Amino acid sequence: MRYVRQIGVIMVKDLRAELRTKEALNASLAFALMILLLFSYTFDPTQEMMREISGGLLWIVFAFAGTLTLNRSFARELPNDCLDALIAAPIPASALFLGKCFASFVLVLAVELVSLPVFGIFYNVHWTAQLPELILVLLLGTWALTVIGTIFSALTVNIKLREVMLPMLTYPVLMPALMSAMRITTVLVNGAPIGADELDWLKMLIGFDVIFTAVSLALIETVLVG
Amino acid sequence: MPAAFLFAATVWAAAIAAVVAVIASILFLRTRNFFYDALALAVTEIGLLLLAAGIVTGAIVGHVAGALWWTWDPRLTSALVCWLLYAPYLMLRAAIEEPSQRAASAAVVSLFAFFDVPLAVAAVHWWLTRHAAPAQPAGVAQSAWWSILPVVMLGAVLSWVRLRREQRRRAADAERRSAQTV
Repeated sequence: MRYVRQIGVIMVKDLRAELRTKEALNASLAFALMILLLFSYTFDPTQEMMREISGGLLWIVFAFAGTLTLNRSFARELPNDCLDALIAAPIPASALFLGKCFASFVLVLAVELVSLPVFGIFYNVHWTAQLPELILVLLLGTWALTVIGTIFSALTVNIKLREVMLPMLTYPVLMPALMSAMRITTVLVNGAPIGADELDWLKMLIGFDVIFTAVSLALIETVLVG
Repeated sequence: MPAAFLFAATVWAAAIAAVVAVIASILFLRTRNFFYDALALAVTEIGLLLLAAGIVTGAIVGHVAGALWWTWDPRLTSALVCWLLYAPYLMLRAAIEEPSQRAASAAVVSLFAFFDVPLAVAAVHWWLTRHAAPAQPAGVAQSAWWSILPVVMLGAVLSWVRLRREQRRRAADAERRSAQTV
């Protein structure tokens, strides 16, 4: 119970700081909308074209916009040596990590939930056809993005090239999860139910979440303390 | 076609390098002995080098066989994904100055990359074989064990040379530091 409360305190602190300054949220949202618009120039957004690429397009937007938020996750603690204070605080490193994960999860999900209707309007896609399944994929994919992003955000926080290194580290590791999410999202957005193929991808996505949440929790102490 | 064997051989050598690297990384995190860090660096670098050679050979063989340089062959593509997975390891090392922080961070990245390899390879194979029509393997042949062995031995020798160089460099570094403090 104590552990859950510790996670909650970190999460609420991060969300409150973000909602007051909105430094990452605004940038991330503006960036997501801009990529959505820019994509319409890279191809002819016809019905058949959208049927094939909608999942890929959406997840590229989510992954790019998400990194902007995740970059701030630990970098926010650098001024006034807040990070040292957090590490010295009497909570386990894993609680600190999970708290920050959940906070970023909420923020990234918020950006995604704003982007989805905009995507539907811009590209004439009835994305609500399989809503419960779509939300499940959204939750699982976003969790993968936030776990990997948060652990690498902690890893790169003291590096001068932080903004460059985070995406370089995050995207290759994230690739299997992104591919699963893209494939399932494409099918769901087109109104088709989850078939045998998509079930395999879903298992891959769940496996990815489980494996890398466990690895991150095992390694976060090393990452933060050295 | 002898060049076709080279790809499979380099993949095996790179896989062995990845296993050695992850074991060395875990040993470093447990013992904080910098020999293991140097070992992980040496095998990762040589593994990346061999894998790059393999991918380039595979693309050339594919070009000779079918005029296209890149046909999204599952084996070549997953090799490329693994290469991209390990390349940031070297970039991260170059970006961190402080030796013990560099070693610990690099070990963490090596662990993440290692756990990701099976998932990434499976995902690439599903993606490329289930949906698009499977492209004819671009002249990439299965190879016999005797064609793997020389490449693995080459990798071992190169890693050893690289390890020795890294250790000499670190010894010189330590001497310079102690001279500066005096």
